[in-house]
Amino acid sequence: MESGNRIDAIEELLGILPIGEKTVSLLSGALEVREQVGATVVHRGIALPHCRSILVDKLAIAVGRSEKGIQWPDEKVNTIILFISPVKPNGPEEHSAFLSHIASCIRKSGDELVSAGSGDELFELLNFEPAKLED
Amino acid sequence: MDKQLEKLISLHDLDVMIADLNRKEIRDKEADMGLKTEGALEELKELREAYTKSIARKWRGLYSQLTRHYGNAVVPALMGRCTGCLTRLPTAVCSDPERNSRVHTCPTCGRIIYWAD
Repeated sequence: MESGNRIDAIEELLGILPIGEKTVSLLSGALEVREQVGATVVHRGIALPHCRSILVDKLAIAVGRSEKGIQWPDEKVNTIILFISPVKPNGPEEHSAFLSHIASCIRKSGDELVSAGSGDELFELLNFEPAKLED
Repeated sequence: MDKQLEKLISLHDLDVMIADLNRKEIRDKEADMGLKTEGALEELKELREAYTKSIARKWRGLYSQLTRHYGNAVVPALMGRCTGCLTRLPTAVCSDPERNSRVHTCPTCGRIIYWAD
């Protein structure tokens, strides 16, 4: 990642999702509000900006690595796992399940996630399959 | 996009965030991951109060009324339908490229509608 601060990093990651500019701006605002009330650093070197929003209709995840690290804001992180869950009539089940999944991956391989040498390795540790984005 | 519509969408997402942190299951999971939950809820409620004041009284009132009635006041339109009640929306509105440049409501359920970009 190129960003040097948290706000830019969130926008950079949202920018790789297949969503419009206005949606990026609104989601960035929501994620920043969440960060303001409590930074989402979940492990040394890993931040997990997340929220639920009516602006997405399916779970959207973007993962980024920063070689130089990003101040978040009290400590530096170099791995950012951003996700936004849709708001569904049945409540936050999907969101809750995904939080559990991430918590389990971090418990199991937090240090490996920070030192992963490639995107593929990172995705394997997170048990994700990279989606092919539509043009 | 209409500024008031943007604010209503953001208010809805803020309310979802507050509702989530009010759920013990989510709060416990976040706390278990080392995230700050204590005090976060109160801070969010304060932010909400301040944010609400920036929304025009007319839309603020409608938002509260719809939230009380349905639980969700703002919904996306999908394939020409209101996703709150599934009513087909007027074609003229759906096909208007400037459809988000004002606040639209569903003619049947009254929910506030937006179109994803």
